[in-house]
Amino acid sequence: MGLAEEFGKERVFNTPLTEQGIAGFGIGLALMGHTAIAEIQFADYIFPAFDQIVNEAAKIRYRSGGQYNVGGLTIRTPTMSVGHGGLYHSQSPEGFFMGASGLKIVIPRSPIQAKGLLLGSIRDPNPVIFMEPKILYRSAVEQVPVDDYELPLGKAEVLVPGSDLTLLTWGTPVYHCEAALHMLASPSPSLESLIPTSLRSAKIELIDLRSILPWDVEAVTESVKRTGRLVIVHEAGMTAGVGAEISAEVQKRCFLKLNAPVKRVTGWE
Amino acid sequence: MIRLSAVSRRISFKWGARGLASAVGNLPNSKSPIVSKLNFFNAVQNDSGLIPTFRVLDGTGKLIDGAELPEIDEKLAHRMYENMQLLPTLDNILYNVQRQGKISFYMTSHGEEATIIGSAAALALDDEVLGQYREMGVLLWRGFGVDNVMAQCFGNEEDTSGKGRQMPVHFGSPKHHFHTISSPLATQIPQAAGVGYSLRRSPNRRGRSIAACYFGEGAASEGDFHAGLLLASTIPSPTLYIARNNGFAISTPSSEQFYGDGIASRGPGYGIDTVRVDGNDVLAVLAAVREGRRSVGHHSTSDDSFAYRARAEVEDRKRIDNPIVRFRLFMESQGWWNAEAEEELKTRLKAEVMASFKRAESIKRCELGELFTDVYGGEEPWNIKEQREELIGLLKKYGEVWEPWRTELAKFKNSGQDLLKP
Repeated sequence: MGLAEEFGKERVFNTPLTEQGIAGFGIGLALMGHTAIAEIQFADYIFPAFDQIVNEAAKIRYRSGGQYNVGGLTIRTPTMSVGHGGLYHSQSPEGFFMGASGLKIVIPRSPIQAKGLLLGSIRDPNPVIFMEPKILYRSAVEQVPVDDYELPLGKAEVLVPGSDLTLLTWGTPVYHCEAALHMLASPSPSLESLIPTSLRSAKIELIDLRSILPWDVEAVTESVKRTGRLVIVHEAGMTAGVGAEISAEVQKRCFLKLNAPVKRVTGWE
Repeated sequence: MIRLSAVSRRISFKWGARGLASAVGNLPNSKSPIVSKLNFFNAVQNDSGLIPTFRVLDGTGKLIDGAELPEIDEKLAHRMYENMQLLPTLDNILYNVQRQGKISFYMTSHGEEATIIGSAAALALDDEVLGQYREMGVLLWRGFGVDNVMAQCFGNEEDTSGKGRQMPVHFGSPKHHFHTISSPLATQIPQAAGVGYSLRRSPNRRGRSIAACYFGEGAASEGDFHAGLLLASTIPSPTLYIARNNGFAISTPSSEQFYGDGIASRGPGYGIDTVRVDGNDVLAVLAAVREGRRSVGHHSTSDDSFAYRARAEVEDRKRIDNPIVRFRLFMESQGWWNAEAEEELKTRLKAEVMASFKRAESIKRCELGELFTDVYGGEEPWNIKEQREELIGLLKKYGEVWEPWRTELAKFKNSGQDLLKP
């Protein structure tokens, strides 16, 4: 990428192979008000840094009464499946961090989103874990504006407006959901018999959550109150995944408007 | 057999032609010399002995043979001694206060007075300090004050370290360049490497300031120790690591904590300049930390990719001799101290600490609303807002009618009214 050549090795450098060291070092830089962008090569390997992220980064502002903070820290990491990754190059660990109050978690779906959300994350006054769906590195292509722009954290985006059902997802599954909507509307001959005609005209509202923590509860509940149905899709496994948290919150707020239980379509465990 | 030796001759001829035949010389692209004798090693020192311990004063306060007195005058000695005495004065009172249940937790500095004050005196006042939990002496040296110590231990509204949120001894103060203590051990070690690096990257501090990181020999078993020293030595950072070895990690003796020659033997494993110091000898600690600081700060201005960071391992032997007595005997030998001065100091310090304690005991906690502040910077997320509202609802319902809640609320400044009537 030429970043080290352009900005120098004092600003762009390799580190020894130790995620807890990388995270701790980044926290140290951020404690002094510097901007630190730390890369964890695969989200599957973020767990050695869990203590530094959850016990330290997330809590520094609170435990110091606001005197210290590590808002300057952004941790970037490739996430989600790529096809050939097996158990250890495919994970979606965002659920493990959702309970670490003080952190933010962001997952972009495309190049334009990635640039705006990454700049927003770097400039946000809180430590952010920025998880990049690795399969999209080469497959998602967009004309990205070269000027400076930010996209807001904590805000979902409605990709397809609808009225019959809310389909909520983030990262790679956004594209699977889009494909599913097309298949539902005009199924191929082999699937026709399996999809009742009455369903094919359903207007599904597709939402990209974009931020996992804090997540846009307003946008989601507004949508579900209109549609009466929610399906959450995520690559991570079912149990205690992000979908579980969202389901609990939505059933609390939209109980009387729901026409069906909240459904989660997730990775198998 | 004949074929084999013919082959080996052929091969050695070829290797000879390329200069690889001889048993002397080094591994390619390395300074590692080639040897023909198989020899396992297990010691840092060439003679396989233990790493030696640096000392200046003997147990009676006299300079040992060949020792040089570090630069010190009467004024500095008095200041060091006073702070060394302040630690046990605070410890004796707060330890008992904890046993009585008035504060929930306490960590004394018993036996480590020389280690902490000696190193604090050697550092610059604005060197960034990242400690574990026995470094209150560094804060006292820098003027934090007994009142602030009491406030944090009682968690009252004057607690600048953390608004009463943390357990006692979890101090922190940007003003004094002392990073807030956290309970998980050794997490500060890689952070100190990053803090040091930030000093390198700051034009007004590069080559002038260092980061100083304290930890105990037990914490040095954590993965963060390994990660931290690795980062500090390879990136590299002007960070001085000070390992306090008092022979115990809570109840685990050193014999059950590590098998090698202490923590000092690990430094060279990371390419880090290391010294082992007698932690009960405040002058030895002073001299060693000054030199370590000089060396570490000096190297931060160079662009060596392979630069050295200094690390001091400070050994305590609290059962054998007392660091405070040792230094007092030295001061008396210089004519800088006497029995009257000792009496006056002890009386004054005890009165100061008692007065501060009595005052802190009756001060209320921060306003209850502070429970929800400082979780995030910038805009407050919805979950925090809603959870605050939940507490307000509960307070409205039970705050006055339920006696346990009424008693608890009274401990907070304004008794929760900041939430009920904002």
